[in-house]
Amino acid sequence: MLTAAAATVGSRRRVTGRQIAGRSVPYFLLLPVVGVLAAILGYPIYFLVKLSLQRYGLPELVQRHGEYIGLDNFRAVLHDPLFWHVLLRTVVFTAVNVGLTIVLGTLGALLLVRVSTWLRLLLTIGLVLVWAMPPVVAVQVWQWMTNSQNGVLNYILTQLHVGNYFQHNWYETTFSSYAMVTSLIVWGAIPFVVITVYAALSQVPRELLEAAQIDGARAWRIFKDVTLPVLMPVLLILTSLSIIWDFGAFTQPYLLIGPGQQTSSNYLMSTYLYYEGFGKNDFGTGAAISLLMLVIVAGLSVVYVRRMLRVGEEA
Amino acid sequence: MRYRVLALAAVAVALSVVVATASASAKRSNAHTLTVWLQVDAQNGWPDLVAAANSAFQSSHPGWNVNVVYKQWNSHLQEFDATIAGNDTPDVIEMGNTDMTAYMASKEFANLGPYKASFNNSASWLAGLKASSTYGGKLYGVPYYAGSRVITYRTDLFKKAGFKKPPTSLSQFQSQLVKVGKMQKHVKGFAPLYVGGEDWFTALSFVFDYGGSIATQNAHGKWVGTLASKKSVAGLTRFKQFFDATQSRSTATLDGSNPFPYTVFSQGRTAANYGPAWYTCCVKPIKASKVGQFVMPSHTKGKPMPGFLGGSDLAVPIQSNSQAEARAWIADFTSTANEKALEKKGNIPNATNLLGKSVNERAAARSWFIPQAKHWADVQTGNILKTFLAQFLTGHLSVKKAAQVADQNIAQTLNEP
Repeated sequence: MLTAAAATVGSRRRVTGRQIAGRSVPYFLLLPVVGVLAAILGYPIYFLVKLSLQRYGLPELVQRHGEYIGLDNFRAVLHDPLFWHVLLRTVVFTAVNVGLTIVLGTLGALLLVRVSTWLRLLLTIGLVLVWAMPPVVAVQVWQWMTNSQNGVLNYILTQLHVGNYFQHNWYETTFSSYAMVTSLIVWGAIPFVVITVYAALSQVPRELLEAAQIDGARAWRIFKDVTLPVLMPVLLILTSLSIIWDFGAFTQPYLLIGPGQQTSSNYLMSTYLYYEGFGKNDFGTGAAISLLMLVIVAGLSVVYVRRMLRVGEEA
Repeated sequence: MRYRVLALAAVAVALSVVVATASASAKRSNAHTLTVWLQVDAQNGWPDLVAAANSAFQSSHPGWNVNVVYKQWNSHLQEFDATIAGNDTPDVIEMGNTDMTAYMASKEFANLGPYKASFNNSASWLAGLKASSTYGGKLYGVPYYAGSRVITYRTDLFKKAGFKKPPTSLSQFQSQLVKVGKMQKHVKGFAPLYVGGEDWFTALSFVFDYGGSIATQNAHGKWVGTLASKKSVAGLTRFKQFFDATQSRSTATLDGSNPFPYTVFSQGRTAANYGPAWYTCCVKPIKASKVGQFVMPSHTKGKPMPGFLGGSDLAVPIQSNSQAEARAWIADFTSTANEKALEKKGNIPNATNLLGKSVNERAAARSWFIPQAKHWADVQTGNILKTFLAQFLTGHLSVKKAAQVADQNIAQTLNEP
């Protein structure tokens, strides 16, 4: 009786054990990837969260010991009116940059389809060169062109009698300096959009275009009802990627406007974070701001990722 | 083929083991290396003095190497912070005198007080530099050298306008500049004295000339902005007058480094700059014979205007394992002979008994310094003063109103816990 019971328990165990082993193989195979992700992504984020809950300034850095203060860093940031001003400015900045990038990029791709082969080749080479230029180098070029003393932009505008731009300072007002930053970011981002949308355009069925033409549809109508639906998934991916890039843009605004000209009246989230975290040596607050940024960007892209998935299912 | 790949992999692994052990042993033999961070100014201006200090140090410390690393002003603190986080700080670091306070307050530097006598001329160190190395009554740095601000000018243009002697008062200087400007009208965009409006070292010199100040600490230890005080406003108003009279077109929103004043000078588009004495470095193709310097005159006849006393100190981070050697190297580097040589190169030496008669040193007779508050660096990185200057120089706000706003911002920043 006793032995029989033991035997049944044993055999049941053996069966379940084998089943578990069989089911867990895929998970074991995932382990290396999970391990690598945890090391290069998980640990820094864990550290960031830990830092954001501490008072961690220069004295704490020297002592190598932060003091836990709960959510005080987040509370201080969220109660700072500057944070909300900067957030609003960054959202507007991102919307303008992403909008311009996508619209101009799509127009560029449509142009690329229509031009002759050699011109297309020339344009593509130009676009790739722009795409390949490191942002820091591009900033240098922009700085030279828009320099108030010797810039070619002021010279040309004055020569063309657009107005008197002699020694005009393009970085005098927040609006004007961000117009410069936007031109630089959009210029650098367009090639990727043009080349991607150009590739997507080849997916538009030629018969549909011809059928629409025969039915007497105008160019705009054809684009809106035939081309755009096909492009939609690609445009959504490009838009959500651009949002992520532009919302956190640092190199261009920081270097083009200049470290010496970053003030509370022209911060973006990235430069605000840099000033609060590194400029003031207040690493705890800096960590809190970057976590907030992470949440905001994730929130913004969730909308697009969901719509993208839906479009994908429909297609 | 597969065997070859395997063999290659085995060789690679064996090699990496060898390299790893080699580097470990290299580290062991390098235990006697002193790491020193200096600014590039030393590399460009006086590499011979660095070499002299190194050989003096090595002769008294056989078996030691000195690894001098040259850094840039605008990024060395971020790099330094990273080494603190990584427990890999240099043994000696050159700090700007405005950067010292935050690090001293954070207990980052070793107390050098007990060893003060081992440094040459420490009894007669320049008061300004000594103050910048002192916090809570303790000494955390050794003064290295200082620099004041002087007028660099075009002797030929001033002569052409009939001025052979340097001006003795601010108003005389201003009228000379206006006359030079009129004679150079044919040069497009010519400014008799080029200065970026946001170059706060210039504007605040006027404030101190009129007896004003930036901020003071009250009896309860709270900082109070004093730019809107009567004397400060008088200085700022005078600065605006001077600025408006000498600028060709509004350079109100430009700072001291974009463009560099000496670049405008070198292009022949100005007759004068107000800045460090080394501005003469970079005025080519203007011939040296056409470039002179004098002390910026005060509004009080016969006196110099107080200039910002910039300077450097040398400090020993507490993480250093070689603090005694670090102190010995600093003593060698700031020896009387080295400081005298620094003076010959146009700098202000670290002690009063070594002072000469150069224009830089005469200008330092009256000088001013930033408020010694723990959070002063935040006022600078937040560009509070630049915003303030642009506001009243462009006419967006009156001097008084802009100063009141700045006072609030400064007090808020300095009084942070």
